[in-house]
Amino acid sequence: MIELRNLTKRFGDIVAVHRLNLSVSEGEIFGFIGPNGAGKTTTLRMMGGVIAPTEGSVTIDGINMADDPENAKKRIGFIPDRPFLYEKLTGMEFLRFTADLYGVEEELFDERSEKILRQFSLYHWADELIESYSHGMKQRLIISSAILHDPKVIVVDEPMVGLDPAGIRMVKDLFRSLAKRGTTIFMSTHTLTVAEDVCGRMGVIHKGSLIATGTIEELRQGAQVQEGDLEEVFLILTEGESVP
Amino acid sequence: MRKILTLLRPRFLSFKNRGISRNLKGRKLRFFLFSAIGLAFWGGTFSIFYRVLTYFQGLEEFGDILAYKLLSMALITFFFLLMFSGILTSLSKLYLSRDLSLIHSMPVSREKVFLSRWIESTMDSSWMVLIYSLPFFLPYGIVYKAGAFYYAILGANLLSFCLIASSLSALIVMVAAVFLPAGRIRSVFIFLGLLLFLLLLISFRLMRPERFVHPESFMTVMLYLRNLESSHSPLLPTTWFFDSLRAGLSGGIGKALFHSALSWSCAITMIFVATWVSGVFYFKGLSKAQTLAGRFFAPFGFKKNGYDFLLNFLSSPVRAFATKEIKTFFRDQTQWPQIFLVVALIVIYLYNFSVLPVEKGPMKTEYLQNLLSFLNMGLAAFVLSAVSARFVFPAVSLEGDAFWIVKSSPVSIRTFLWVKFFIYFLPLLFLTELLIVVTNILLHVTPFMMIISVVTIFLMVPGIVSMGIGLGAIYPDFQSENPAQSVTSLGGLIFMTLCIGFIASVIVLEAGPVYHVFMTGIRGGSLTGIQWLWLVGSFSLVVALCLMAAVIPIRLGEQRISQYELGGYNIG
Repeated sequence: MIELRNLTKRFGDIVAVHRLNLSVSEGEIFGFIGPNGAGKTTTLRMMGGVIAPTEGSVTIDGINMADDPENAKKRIGFIPDRPFLYEKLTGMEFLRFTADLYGVEEELFDERSEKILRQFSLYHWADELIESYSHGMKQRLIISSAILHDPKVIVVDEPMVGLDPAGIRMVKDLFRSLAKRGTTIFMSTHTLTVAEDVCGRMGVIHKGSLIATGTIEELRQGAQVQEGDLEEVFLILTEGESVP
Repeated sequence: MRKILTLLRPRFLSFKNRGISRNLKGRKLRFFLFSAIGLAFWGGTFSIFYRVLTYFQGLEEFGDILAYKLLSMALITFFFLLMFSGILTSLSKLYLSRDLSLIHSMPVSREKVFLSRWIESTMDSSWMVLIYSLPFFLPYGIVYKAGAFYYAILGANLLSFCLIASSLSALIVMVAAVFLPAGRIRSVFIFLGLLLFLLLLISFRLMRPERFVHPESFMTVMLYLRNLESSHSPLLPTTWFFDSLRAGLSGGIGKALFHSALSWSCAITMIFVATWVSGVFYFKGLSKAQTLAGRFFAPFGFKKNGYDFLLNFLSSPVRAFATKEIKTFFRDQTQWPQIFLVVALIVIYLYNFSVLPVEKGPMKTEYLQNLLSFLNMGLAAFVLSAVSARFVFPAVSLEGDAFWIVKSSPVSIRTFLWVKFFIYFLPLLFLTELLIVVTNILLHVTPFMMIISVVTIFLMVPGIVSMGIGLGAIYPDFQSENPAQSVTSLGGLIFMTLCIGFIASVIVLEAGPVYHVFMTGIRGGSLTGIQWLWLVGSFSLVVALCLMAAVIPIRLGEQRISQYELGGYNIG
């Protein structure tokens, strides 16, 4: 479902992402972890079509992002790390805006938007301007808008930032249920326990390069650790650099 | 005092550290460009006032009265400018800045926070008025051959003048912030916009400038002079400044010092009063600004479709952007005063044409009416450029931090830019055509000139709007706290320069053929073959130029914004 081939991004002399090769299958929840400045957000932005790679390609559901960005983006629900939205729209107006952009039918929108807003505890805030929302509410709204068009792929950067424990539980359950229905989720996260809990497979990026991929067991083997949690494995793989 | 200085330190350090930040080359270029333009403007203003005052000096008796009248009028204008600038700046510094939460969480008294913010506000709101008031005041000293005392008293008075205006502005803002019923502090902008609009209209009507074209309308010369000489209230800061300068010019040291002392005592008292009021009102107003308040116009309930159905003929992605654009524009209350200003401008513009004494001109009335109408096309297009610089050029930058939504959406950048284009094109076309048609009716122009004006403007509006959108996309500023200020950027400058070049080219291309057609009409003859050729050639070139202006800037903007690296160095 997701194919990254020799994906590279340079900012001047800085190589943010270096020759990244990765495949993620349909219905898989893939965790993307790495220290601060490792290149996680840059990779996700390239996958979302927000920035163009210097070299290499991103393919979503068989569609090359560079060749047909509009069709590729239609298949993605993109959730950035910081919830910047149009502050002067109401929550419901923002959802309608997203639905129109992604071509969601009117009848389907009415049904889905109400359901999603209730699910994310935003229903009673639907007519309030986004500028009055808290950080966590904005994050919930972005997630709501990203799943509204029932995307095949969800690309999500730090999904749990700003969410309360109930919100975190809800998002984890949501991702699991979406994956069961065949949605592919590519998630970068700081919260290693969440990654351990939700992701079937993980990739560790360090200094722009993918240094390990696999299940938690495979990562343990790679790090030559018999026991221990993901944090320990992470610290060994990234040579003890601080956990983001 | 130490704490106040500490609170001001980040501002000075940020200023000092400008050299370290990225994009230094662009900034330097911008700095030199603006300095050169600013210097030219300063020099131009100086030479104009120098010539005007020299001319006045040549008029016995009457000259001094005119010179002093000019001085008092200028002082009132400067005071209003300082006040308005002070109100906007103190509003921003005291209630809207992003660092306020941090500052107010620190163990510093509210009065000290206020004073530090007020000092910043005073500097920001006064420096430009101060610099550009000098080419007005300095020629007085030179023409009246004043000594060093005049310049010293000028400096002292300018400073107290700024302090009075700034503290008065802060007082108005603090009181308004507490008592405005809407609660949300940005609402103040609406209040200010309306106030400015009324002030402009009232002051313009009170001045009745058209009277000065007809001195004969005054009963006698003495009445005319008395009208010019009418004095102001002795309780106004402008009067103290005026009296002090007048005394300084004629060497009356004691009188000058007395009025200067009045001004300074008022300034110091005002600062004390403002500081005391800040202890009582500032925090109340600030708390109100931080909390959610009722809106002026509540959005429609989500189960209703509102007025969105009006855009149903558009494809859904286009409708999505169009609806978003219209809603965010009108809900942003900071835009409203600007709209009021545009309305005020239009009213004054049309009023000017209605009182033009065309029949008293040295040329034949019909000729003059049509000449004015032709030149009016350029003027209306220039007004359109100025309005576009404020509203259209920042349109792309207004996406701000939410631009990721556009980049990640399944809609092309080209569609996004064209939606922006049409959102602004339609109202601006209506506005400019309204200006042209109404002024032409007021001028009683010929049907030929009416058609030429309407068609030319119809062709020029897409070009100017497209340049606004295109250059706004080539020079976006998504990080700015106030994207509307992007008009003062290098891109804004290039936009205005291109607009002026475009307008001038169209006017020059049309001038010759239009003159021949008009004169042939008056003389009752017909155009020669060469004149026909010239006419067709010129108008074809105008059409081609307008088409190019409408298409090329958006294309270039599309290329640039497609490559824009959102987030830049934030590797993550």
